[in-house]
Amino acid sequence: MAVASVTGVGIIPFGKHSGKSIIDMGAKVGYLALKDAGIDPSKIQAGFFANGLAGRLFGDSTIGQNVFWELGINKIPVVNVENACTSGSSAFYLAYNMVAANQVEIAMVIGAEKMCVPEFGLINSGETELDTQLGLIAPASFAMRAIRYMDEYDCKPEQLAQVAVKNRQHARLNPNAQFKDPISIDMVMDSPMIVDPLTRFQCCPIADGAAAVILCSENIAKQMNRSVNIESAILCTGSYGNNQDMILWETDTRGCNLAYEKAGIGSQDIDVFECHDAFTISEILHYEALGLCDPGEGIRFLEEGHSRLGGKKPVNVSGGLLSRGHPVGATGVAQIGEIVTQLRNEAGPRQVEGAKIGLAHCMGGDKSGDTKSCTVAILSV
Amino acid sequence: MDTNADNMILPFAKNIFTQPPYKSNPPDLLGGFCSGCNDYFFPKPGYCPKCLGNIQTRPIGNKGTIYSFTVVRTPPLFDLPSPYAIGYIDLIKTKLRVFGLFDPEALDQLKIGARVVLSVKSLGTDSQGSPRLRPCFILEPENEHTMI
Repeated sequence: MAVASVTGVGIIPFGKHSGKSIIDMGAKVGYLALKDAGIDPSKIQAGFFANGLAGRLFGDSTIGQNVFWELGINKIPVVNVENACTSGSSAFYLAYNMVAANQVEIAMVIGAEKMCVPEFGLINSGETELDTQLGLIAPASFAMRAIRYMDEYDCKPEQLAQVAVKNRQHARLNPNAQFKDPISIDMVMDSPMIVDPLTRFQCCPIADGAAAVILCSENIAKQMNRSVNIESAILCTGSYGNNQDMILWETDTRGCNLAYEKAGIGSQDIDVFECHDAFTISEILHYEALGLCDPGEGIRFLEEGHSRLGGKKPVNVSGGLLSRGHPVGATGVAQIGEIVTQLRNEAGPRQVEGAKIGLAHCMGGDKSGDTKSCTVAILSV
Repeated sequence: MDTNADNMILPFAKNIFTQPPYKSNPPDLLGGFCSGCNDYFFPKPGYCPKCLGNIQTRPIGNKGTIYSFTVVRTPPLFDLPSPYAIGYIDLIKTKLRVFGLFDPEALDQLKIGARVVLSVKSLGTDSQGSPRLRPCFILEPENEHTMI
């Protein structure tokens, strides 16, 4: 029996939310999660709020207290979490550990982000960092992985583009996805080049959005109807040693293996995956780190249809970051929310039939050719 | 590179590369060296991350091969040329894999395994818009004949 469970989920469609603040969006998903769980706000004993960019874009800080106050939740511990693209899943990791340690019985995680503003440029690690001053932006570090991967395994940009096409097909079935219109390989290849070989449709779009989950102890979960067990939740950082291999991603593989080990299961046992497809190449690399296929077999795994809805290991049936959109602080929470929805058998037309175990994987930030954080959560019913 | 005009321009950051004028010593990247661990680091850390011992500033090498690269076509930060190329270079001398800019004049000729040598140019600006010297790797001429 798992020591903690998810018992409520709230999400709003990702996209442009003009006129809505981060607080508005965060409070809305918190409200939806409370209603979903059927829990009174007074029962929440700890709150974690994730946001990646409001400090940089708007000069905001400690937004979580404002969001939870809007929901009538105050006096309890509230922690604001920033961990780049894993802000949301890092907040989940902290909440999970707090519940698992019996410090609280019910905790809430809210992730919210506002990116569709004129101030927004491309994500980098901060203008004081050496790599940024030498021209590194987030898409470029994945473009370099793509060029190395294509060279090593002799594949073509058109093959990478298929990730974007597949995830768009999934997004069509998700009312909360930002982009739902079908796209073809030609459309992906013909979209403007951002960083060679990644075109615009191979890079996840910016979005406004928010998502929330409520976690509870084993005792509380027994009293709830639709709770989903958390088998493991891990967070790891890079080694930042020199000679980073940009294909066989040590940190990614180490993170996935740790989550499998803690859950006592392997990739063969898992029915549905959400992974951090910030770029097309990312999803291919994550197939390999997750152990869905051998190194170098990622393209074949995709082309054989295994990662599609209806395939043997569906990946990103929500549309992924590429089509659901990537409001940084909300993404990690939305991925976990998607897995919970799948395991509750409530995903409608994108439901993975008979899904009993699911995995949410997220990555964030760049340092020395490695990631700054990698999170993996495994859930089950 | 080593013109009077460029001598007036300040480096974009301290202790990342050797300072002009170069004369007989070509530009080199500066990293850290721990004599206890016999290990090089780039950029130089405050302490040795392995033994927490003192770190000396050392040249780490100005020649290498391209591990990977990309061409960035979005509006650049720090007024870098548009487009510009960046990548990881495996340095021959210390075996470090370092991140850096490539010569913006030769974007089409970049290849994994190609040999490159360090140059220092007025490339881009600081956050206030003043021109700054940055290190960049240029393809070695013999590259046309001998690919690694």
